[in-house]
Amino acid sequence: MHKIKSTNFTRLLFFIVLGVGLFLLGNRVDELRVYQGATLAMYVIAISSIILLTGYSGQVSLGHGAMLAIGGYAAALAHEHLGLPIWICFSIAVLAAAAAGAVLGTAAARLSGPYLAGTTLALAVGLPSIANQFPILGGEQGLLFDVGAPPARLGADFTQYKWYFWIAALAALIAIWWLQNILRSRYGRMWRAVRGNEVAAELAGIHIGKSKTLAFTVSSGLAGLAGGVLAMTISTVSPSAFPLSLSFSLLTGAVLAGVSTLSGVIIGALTLVATPEIADAISRRLGNSENVTTNLPGLLVSALLILVVLLVPNGPVEQWRKFRARSLHEVTHR
Amino acid sequence: MFGLNRGRLLVATAVIATSGLTLSAMPAQALSPHLEVGVSSTEIKLGVTLPMTGTASPGYNKVPSAMKAYFDYVNANGGVNGKKVTLIVKDDQYVPTLAVAKTNELILKDKVLALLAPLGTANNKAVAAAVNPGRRGVPVLFVNTGYSGFANKKLFPTTFSLLPSYIVEAKIMAQYLKENYSDKKIGLLYQDDDFGDDALAGFKQAGLNFAVKVPYASGSQGVAGVPATWITKLSAGGAEVVVLFGVSSATGAALATAAGMKFAPKWVLGSVGGDATTIKALGVPAGVLYNATGASFLPATTDTTDEYIKLFQDINTTYNKGAVFDNNVLVGMNTAFVTVQALKAAGPNITRKSLITAIEKKGATFASAGLTPLNFSATSHVGYAGYWFGTYGPTGDLKPNGGTYTMYTTDSAAGAVVKSTYSRPAMPAKGLPN
Repeated sequence: MHKIKSTNFTRLLFFIVLGVGLFLLGNRVDELRVYQGATLAMYVIAISSIILLTGYSGQVSLGHGAMLAIGGYAAALAHEHLGLPIWICFSIAVLAAAAAGAVLGTAAARLSGPYLAGTTLALAVGLPSIANQFPILGGEQGLLFDVGAPPARLGADFTQYKWYFWIAALAALIAIWWLQNILRSRYGRMWRAVRGNEVAAELAGIHIGKSKTLAFTVSSGLAGLAGGVLAMTISTVSPSAFPLSLSFSLLTGAVLAGVSTLSGVIIGALTLVATPEIADAISRRLGNSENVTTNLPGLLVSALLILVVLLVPNGPVEQWRKFRARSLHEVTHR
Repeated sequence: MFGLNRGRLLVATAVIATSGLTLSAMPAQALSPHLEVGVSSTEIKLGVTLPMTGTASPGYNKVPSAMKAYFDYVNANGGVNGKKVTLIVKDDQYVPTLAVAKTNELILKDKVLALLAPLGTANNKAVAAAVNPGRRGVPVLFVNTGYSGFANKKLFPTTFSLLPSYIVEAKIMAQYLKENYSDKKIGLLYQDDDFGDDALAGFKQAGLNFAVKVPYASGSQGVAGVPATWITKLSAGGAEVVVLFGVSSATGAALATAAGMKFAPKWVLGSVGGDATTIKALGVPAGVLYNATGASFLPATTDTTDEYIKLFQDINTTYNKGAVFDNNVLVGMNTAFVTVQALKAAGPNITRKSLITAIEKKGATFASAGLTPLNFSATSHVGYAGYWFGTYGPTGDLKPNGGTYTMYTTDSAAGAVVKSTYSRPAMPAKGLPN
């Protein structure tokens, strides 16, 4: 097959075209879809941070919701107390979560497998309740994070959610573009080497601990950005915005996306956004019982997770590649 | 990964194109240009978010079916200007982020005309910030919270409240406590958010000092061991009278735990968590409630001499599967009763705007079961402003002290607490607005 040469330029071009596509799409759909688009962008960032951590560096985090919480709270505090512009708030969200990730990553580098999973899980359980201890964090009710109405020059018909969508989509595009660049750099190769075989990587001169800590830091920074975007779309941060189920959803999204490749990330994000919609439609048919409505989304995601692990353990994108490679092989060897 | 070859580029384009098509295949529902969102020739759609499940749901999850029951009664009698009223219910589990998501669904997907009685201070604040019904011009009728901040017309231009504010309640309660228990040490349990802060502001305004104040985080009443820490603190602070100013589930948890720990002060219950049926359903023996003090702005639920109670009980039997008639059912029916008048007053060509104008112009004349007048006007979006005090009997029913409803009224500012002279007009025939 003829290959278009993948250069930094073509990849940048791809993201610009994607951005223009999203821009056009945002103008065509109604406000509910635009709102879901903003949520989708948030999930894209959050899931890619997990893919980076688990798929590329081989570390497991069951508590990435905590990193989102740190980012969300950092952005909200910067906005409320310092009155900083929104893009600086997002930068602060990234830095704050990355700093927390660096600290946690140092500890995480010494742990592996279930111990690491347990540590991160404990963090996701415990961290949000810190908000109840310090009045500045607003307790259970949380803090408002209002990025404000869209600029007047965009017109009176320009809705609030379209504005969120623009910001969220731009953040996601920049994050993914930057991430796929770093994954192609020597750091990306270093992480994969460590994941593949720690002893071999160490023999090749890679400092295992530093490599893992760095991956944790970068992943946390991305999660922090996702937290900032999440806080923007719901205009508030509170412990209830970052429940344990969020961490699990993100992990599920990553598995659905195919944890070892970034290109499936949109599939994971789409699934997470679509599940409540599908669950809603089903529960309407079943007569709108409270129990069904409340529990069905979780049930659907869990069922999907089990199916994916059983049928396509590497994710649908990887499976598709394998399938194509096989059929290509058959065609050329016929 | 993102290496591009033609195949992948094709796949990527296909994915973008299909998602684009899927998204645009569901355009905004085309509505006839003459009709407002949420209104058809036969129907007016309203939506509510509140905790139907979860820690804070007990009691409040009975409100929607009560509202629906009254709407069904009206629909069976010709509807509102010939249209039937429907209510879409969404469960937010008392979680602000869920309230935001569910309100989005109501406004953007179900396309309701107005939100009706969304519950919770924190939830309504989050919704106001994120969904911003004010900016969208979506009426928020009769929020089910007494947070005084929602009276700010500038910040919440489309929001109306029916309940007296928590400041009003706290000021009136403070006067009652000072009159009856000036020599006792008073303790307070309150929710650690704007709901509780509003109450604190009212108690402070009235100059009432507590010997011990115990805040609780919303939802923590469901965590094992937490209610015991409240009781320990109240008991250690020497409280002889304890004010419970929380949601029903917190009030129930406090009473049940105190009974188990043999801590028996004089209990004074705020209106939010004071429904006896709910408290008993949470496992509190009726005996614990016996002789406690409670407050309400509506007639007692057992007072069948009251024409509204009589009517609502009848409707409850016919249209609400005979659910236990408690304060939550009463509040739900009364809210629906006022809502129907507002919808009717907005005229046959009802719009979001005409609905708001109708309440501002005619709201003060709406009939209701309330024992103080409705204070709606162009400058005020607040309904009731008064309370009576009563005592829970041996079976847990709240009865007014002295046998009659002695209403006290005040404002959310520095105004004095005064005895109300209001006498409620007669109910419209058959409880249908004319």
